[in-house]
Amino acid sequence: MNDIQVPMVDPGRAKQRHTISKLFRMACMLVAVQAVVILVILLSTIFFRGIDHLSWSFITGVHRDDNPDGSGLWPAIIGSIVICAICGLAALPIGIGTAIFLEEFKPKHWLLRVFHNLVQLNITNLAGVPSIVYGILGVTTFVYMFGLIESYEANKAPSIEFGARRYYQVRTAAKTFVWLPVEDKTIRLLEINDPIEAMYPNGQSFMLNVINRGDPKPDDAELLGQTVYRGSKGSIFSKHPWYYLRLPFHKSVLSAGLTLALVVLPIVIISSQEAIRAVPDTMRDAGLGLGCTRWQMVRTIILPASIPGIMTGAILAMSRAVGEAAPLLAVMGGIVSKRTGPENLMDNAAAMPITIYKWARDDNPGFWELSASAIIVLLCLLLTMNSFAILLRYWAEKKFTAN
Amino acid sequence: MNYRFNRYSPFAFCVAACLLLCGCDSSKQAGPTASDGAAVGEVASNGDVAPGGEAGPVSELAGKIAVEGSSTVAPITNQAKERFNEHYPDVEISVSGDGTSNGFASFVKKQTDISDASRPIKQKELDQAQANSVTFVEVPVAYDGLTIAVNPKNDFVKSLTVDQLAKIFRAGDEAKTWKDVNPEWPEEKISIFSPGTGSGTYDYFSEVVLGKDGTLRSDNQINLNEDDNILVRGVAGDPFAIGYFGYSYYERNMDDLRAVPIVNPAGNEVSPTKATIESGEYAPFSRPLFIYLNTESLDKAEVETFVDFYMENIREVVTAANYVPLPDEIYAKAVDNVANRVTGTHYLTEEGEKREGPLSEVYQPANLKK
Amino acid sequence: MRSSAVSKRNQAIVVALLIFCATISVATTLGIVTILFKESIGFFSRVNLSDFLLGTEWTIGRSKNPADYQYGIWPLISGTMRITFIAMLIAIPLGLITAVYLSEYAPRGVRAVLKPVLEILAGMPTVVLGYFAVVVITPTILEPIGFKPYNAMAAGIAVGILCLPLVSSLTEDALQAVPNSLREAAFGLGGTRFDSVVKIVVPAAMSGIVSAFLLAFARAIGETMIVALAAGAIPTFTIDPRGPSQTMTGFIVEVFQSEDVIPGTIAYYSIYAVAFTLFLLTFITTLFGQFIRRRYREAYE
Repeated sequence: MNDIQVPMVDPGRAKQRHTISKLFRMACMLVAVQAVVILVILLSTIFFRGIDHLSWSFITGVHRDDNPDGSGLWPAIIGSIVICAICGLAALPIGIGTAIFLEEFKPKHWLLRVFHNLVQLNITNLAGVPSIVYGILGVTTFVYMFGLIESYEANKAPSIEFGARRYYQVRTAAKTFVWLPVEDKTIRLLEINDPIEAMYPNGQSFMLNVINRGDPKPDDAELLGQTVYRGSKGSIFSKHPWYYLRLPFHKSVLSAGLTLALVVLPIVIISSQEAIRAVPDTMRDAGLGLGCTRWQMVRTIILPASIPGIMTGAILAMSRAVGEAAPLLAVMGGIVSKRTGPENLMDNAAAMPITIYKWARDDNPGFWELSASAIIVLLCLLLTMNSFAILLRYWAEKKFTAN
Repeated sequence: MNYRFNRYSPFAFCVAACLLLCGCDSSKQAGPTASDGAAVGEVASNGDVAPGGEAGPVSELAGKIAVEGSSTVAPITNQAKERFNEHYPDVEISVSGDGTSNGFASFVKKQTDISDASRPIKQKELDQAQANSVTFVEVPVAYDGLTIAVNPKNDFVKSLTVDQLAKIFRAGDEAKTWKDVNPEWPEEKISIFSPGTGSGTYDYFSEVVLGKDGTLRSDNQINLNEDDNILVRGVAGDPFAIGYFGYSYYERNMDDLRAVPIVNPAGNEVSPTKATIESGEYAPFSRPLFIYLNTESLDKAEVETFVDFYMENIREVVTAANYVPLPDEIYAKAVDNVANRVTGTHYLTEEGEKREGPLSEVYQPANLKK
Repeated sequence: MRSSAVSKRNQAIVVALLIFCATISVATTLGIVTILFKESIGFFSRVNLSDFLLGTEWTIGRSKNPADYQYGIWPLISGTMRITFIAMLIAIPLGLITAVYLSEYAPRGVRAVLKPVLEILAGMPTVVLGYFAVVVITPTILEPIGFKPYNAMAAGIAVGILCLPLVSSLTEDALQAVPNSLREAAFGLGGTRFDSVVKIVVPAAMSGIVSAFLLAFARAIGETMIVALAAGAIPTFTIDPRGPSQTMTGFIVEVFQSEDVIPGTIAYYSIYAVAFTLFLLTFITTLFGQFIRRRYREAYE
């Protein structure tokens, strides 16, 4: 880059001024390079701390208390993905809808116009609200539902629920467990005196064989597994399909996902707005000129043209959600010790950022290194999501230039 | 605020993580050793004889168990949980170590099945339990020696008396510097690390050092945190720090901490070790740890099976968690109490005062208060 | 072929749905304001507003007896400001100069490296920066020179790294919004590039730069995970960056972590009072920043 030549009025001074200009440029460059230096230090320190523990058994293992070498990240990975999926399912339709409303349906009625401006102003400000404040919002609305509905008790069915199946769990003479159907869920213990229909955990049903204590046990292994002593008690427990719902949501992945959806909503809206705005007006005019209604025009022209841009923004919003920890801490608490991912919407879960946080706070220094390994996994997940965004954009650009 | 997504952003992550991916490759080479190690560990633990193991190593027992309470006791429950889950993988046990008081607060509202406690239940909590018709079985599980630790670089504190501790910790005329405690010590600000107010360790320490009416200081030289890990790190990183926590946390971080010998009522300087804790020589900071079991929850097969397992393996579990097991008679009595659902606490008198004395004397049927 | 009446009706349904979507974001704001305000009233019915605003001791949850609690917000504000100040000391000069370099000097090749680097930093999960602060910055740089294991400095540096890309990208926007004719005029008058940058472009973009600073400031105030990991948990009213400090966000997280938030207790209400203060601070700063930003945009567009 050459500086523009200027007339040399005073050669000495001009030279001095050019030197200053050059020095300034050098100084700027040196300062700007600091960002690279910081990033290299950041990534390399984390990398060298975390690399030793990074192995397949780390990825697929579960957290073990005070045993960093045997601990793994699997439940947290699944937890993060589930929470992120819930967040996406909630935030994307709402966010894209809002963006379409803001960009394509500028209303004429004054009241709606006020609303329109209010929404626009509101979104830019919402993006500046600290995420922990969203966490508090999530706790009040989703976790406790303003305290309007009675809270959770360990030995009682929630009053408002959907999808739970309850069984009595009873121990057989073979010390295995079989299940009995529940007719009245308020009866918590069922005493077994007569043969009744029972089932294995795999769902296969059979008739229970009841014997008295002291009677000889059946020799047949299968029959032994179907035999209980007279007077044994079955205790109630509930099995929840993935769509199990109860009110309030309590400390669940659903609460967490919905809270994160509110956190990323402004990002989804703003990036979708930018993508929609990038569609040239000529395309709009062409559509409207052919006699389309506004919605037909949006559906057939604007959305197909802007969807790659919208999806790119959406993926970036999701990667923000995956890394977000503060709202999760508020909504679910600092959970690390889970053996599996969430089993249903009302289950709680470990998540990667929370696991990183808790491990970094552990008193066992082994976990600090494990925390770095978890960071590497998290960054790799972010990388995958972002590469997908690049591919999407590349594909879209190719498609549009081909047209 | 305007988060902009320009064309570089996705690419940016590519560059970053390419570096990381290179690393993943090299880790795969390092992988076999690590995973071999883990595999060996698993074989070893599966090789352990399963208690009541006629049914084979894995059972279909399912359900959820909620445990909350003392972070001092949590390592014991976690050890039991780890072992239990090897045989009963479908039982999900959540162990939250957020403090004895917080644990009891949930326990008396029927929100948890088991409450970990580093002090016995208080009259106030018993009242709340009765009001909500919660009944429970009290089970002592181990001895702990509450450990007072300083930084290894601290070479001036040779031992501490309870009076000196009171000088450091009491609210009101609190010592600002080490010199205020002992004129021979340096004039450096003391930074104090203490478990939070919801912790049973806080209650126990406060009662032993300051008596019933004293309060612990709350000024800006004391770091209060429910997370014992933060306390350990704080003391390990600051040459003029002092902190206290369960013996287990000290045992795990012996290289970074120095346990201060305490002058016991007999006038001897005693360091916390498993031997001095068991013998009671490490006074007045030897204390029993408890779990409280909701009797309604004990009717659930998964909870009962877990508790049975816990008690059958109690010595192993307690030792693995770096605490000191109780005498066998006490465990036998506890097992009886669980089996017969003997509810109530042994640690409160009819007047609602705390009952004092060694565990073997207090944990007697005659002292039971429902 | 559909009749236009059907299309009209479909459009009406769709518009209703879209308005519903848009309402959710407004409802979020209203929800935040209402909840924070309502529960803060619960707090201020128990605590004097003047104790809260003027007190210099904050001991909620730090004593066994709630009667001993002190409710002065200043230690938390001082913790927040100490960390924010350190962060701004790093983010503003670095971010500003980086933006000047990117906008006015950087050749294509350098730009192709620098921009992605800034994007990575901007997208870094904050818990990662918190980890960096407590496990790397504190033990290797700060502890050897007498800082405590948890201190405001490490947290401030990490928050500064977090805000750097934000400052630089918003500032670069502002610099690029300055029309080229101004730069050309500077050269035409015999100015060097230094003259054009320092005397023309930066002053011309000043309102945009100030708004960038304000937005970064708001971001720093609201940052949670870094301070929760690195800053410690003592609310201190001081300017000393060597010791532990608790920020408003740090206090909220600590309460959420350490106990079940039991509605009706003073600790429960205090979360809302602190969050309300935090929300007001960030909201006003953001609003002000957006306002200035909009004005400079109008000036050149």
